Amino acid sequence: MVLENLSSSLKDVFKKISGSSYIDKETIKEVSKDIQRALLKADVNVKLVISLTNRLQERAATEKPPAGMSEQDFILKIIYEELLSILGEESRIELKPQTIMLVGLYGNGKTTTAGKLARFFIKKGLSVGLIAADVHRPGAYEQLEQISKQVNSLFYGEKNEKDPVKIIKNGLDRLGDAKVKIIDTSGRDSLDDELIDEIKRIKNEIKPDEVLYVVDATLGQQVGPQAKVLNDAVSISGVIITKMDGTGKGGGALSAVAEIKSPVYFIGTGEHMEDFEVFNPRKFLSRLLGMGDIDALMEAV
Amino acid sequence: ENISNKSENQESLFIKRDEFDERVQEILIESDVSFESAERIVEMLKNREKKLSRKISYDDIKSNLRSVLYDVLSQAKSDLDLLNVDKKPYVILFIGINGTGKTTTIGKIASYLKNNNKKVVIAAGDTFRAGAIEQISIIGEKTGTEVIKHDFGSDPASVAYDAIEHARARRIDYVLIDSAGRMQTNKNLLSEMKKIKRVARPDLTLLVLDGMIGNDAIEQAKTFMNEINFDGVVLTKLDTDARGGAVISVAMEIKKPIMFVGVGQGLNDIMRFDPDWYLDKIFSS
Ligand SMILES: Nc1nc2c(ncn2[C@@H]2O[C@H](COP(=O)(O)OP(=O)(O)OP(=O)(O)O)[C@@H](O)[C@H]2O)c(=O)[nH]1
Ligand SMILES: Nc1nc2c(ncn2[C@@H]2O[C@H](COP(=O)(O)OP(=O)(O)OP(=O)(O)O)[C@@H](O)[C@H]2O)c(=O)[nH]1
Ligand SMILES: [Mg+2]
Ligand SMILES: [Mg+2]
Repeated sequence: MVLENLSSSLKDVFKKISGSSYIDKETIKEVSKDIQRALLKADVNVKLVISLTNRLQERAATEKPPAGMSEQDFILKIIYEELLSILGEESRIELKPQTIMLVGLYGNGKTTTAGKLARFFIKKGLSVGLIAADVHRPGAYEQLEQISKQVNSLFYGEKNEKDPVKIIKNGLDRLGDAKVKIIDTSGRDSLDDELIDEIKRIKNEIKPDEVLYVVDATLGQQVGPQAKVLNDAVSISGVIITKMDGTGKGGGALSAVAEIKSPVYFIGTGEHMEDFEVFNPRKFLSRLLGMGDIDALMEAV
Repeated sequence: ENISNKSENQESLFIKRDEFDERVQEILIESDVSFESAERIVEMLKNREKKLSRKISYDDIKSNLRSVLYDVLSQAKSDLDLLNVDKKPYVILFIGINGTGKTTTIGKIASYLKNNNKKVVIAAGDTFRAGAIEQISIIGEKTGTEVIKHDFGSDPASVAYDAIEHARARRIDYVLIDSAGRMQTNKNLLSEMKKIKRVARPDLTLLVLDGMIGNDAIEQAKTFMNEINFDGVVLTKLDTDARGGAVISVAMEIKKPIMFVGVGQGLNDIMRFDPDWYLDKIFSS
């Protein structure tokens, strides 16, 4: 029985409707409330939660469960599908020569992730050069320089230059041999116009192949709106979710993905350079919802 | 949208009790108050309004909500006056998960103390993260504060010990101990922190939380409280559009005072936590 695999707040939801073979509108409404609760506790943005459960009610009212599927399994399937459609199927970053720029909020893990990405590409046989374009945070240059030594990549930075565009242009030039160039940038937020202008200028003058958004899994409601502003400024092409080794459920990060509509490539699972995994949307969702092995679950469904 | 916008739009509306509760809860959750705390606040609000009629205006709610939150937050105020402490050196340890703003906050507090003619030394207790010793050294230079540091990878407890000894020998007033970010799920790093605390015997331990944090605030605060214990919280990055609802959940569920808030990357961007300032921030744009 599928429901026995649920180990979560959602378990209670389905307890309510299990047993009844027929679900009326009222019950679906009530179940929606419980699903909202589970999603809100996982930090999914309020507006996104409401639109998800609206979809759920719409679909539950118009679609019929496939033959042999109970109503409650059908509701589970719908909400799972809706969430999965935000995340998309598993997608891989291309293994080719390219320039990648990392952007994101203060302290979310950009510089560390630059190192992890470098290590990833190097292991795949592509040489990497790291470029230090964070001209604001004290010690950002040294941090990336030391990381580049840890992962055996090339490194370029200019300690006293205050214009990130200049540094990056020189860096792309000097690291010409490296197949993959990864640019680390300062942390920034949507209210800081100067920093938003700065990143726009970098993007327009450098035209990186990928702009990756690095986002912390412990953060909450404002991550979605934050991501929207940054996406409007530099059109983000992919996402990396960090600090998945903690207890954060990643609902803020999910809301960012819903805004950006780009694939999530990796997750960070620790401070060390090897704490880095290819993103698995199903695994992510089972953690977000507090459910066990959701894959097995959906197969059973 | 913030609380006042929501209510202003519907100022003249009178709506049903239930919808009202839902709306209030939604607004609290949108401000990153934890789900449970938001539920409890709605209960508190209901109790306060028991005497009112079934239908109630947004204005009533707004002022009642503000006063409920004020009560919660005023319990979380701290009387500590950092400039008038009765111990020398006064040792402050900063803890928290990765990237929340510990090192930056140390710079701000060092700067505040120096501006008030106090003698300060910083212990470069993050010996793990790349560039951490350089970061704190630059902050030391900028604030004119001496930084006691050992090599990359060395024992952070002994850095703290040396800094305290140094302060004793030179009659320095304050020792600020930086520490590497650590997830509350990492047992090894928690026991490392226990050792630092045992050796340093801080007079004040501050948990630094990211202002954008969601429901995980309570998870982090609980574990750090049980494993390490701390005396108060610093909430950073409130210059962003973060509503910082963690201050409310921490006040309600952890019952620890909120000591400072970070409001920017600069050395002066720090404030004592003030419930009125905070409520103004979330009630108006
Ligand atoms: N536990 C854990 N820590 C991480 C992870 N990714 C990064 N960190 C840590 O998070 C902290 C911040 O990482 P940084 O790489 O400096 O973040 P950043 O985005 O470059 O920060 P700014 O440049 O200041 O905006 C550091 O202590 C990292 O070691 C992760 O996946 N798990
Ligand atoms: N806008 C803003 N940024 C802040 C604030 N406090 C810290 N930051 C930024 O957040 C990032 C991380 O700050 P750090 O002080 O390095 O954080 P940390 O907790 O020491 O990080 P680890 O040592 O890596 O765990 C930096 O980019 C800081 O400039 C604040 O109040 N407002
Ligand atoms: Mg950085
Ligand atoms: Mg630090």
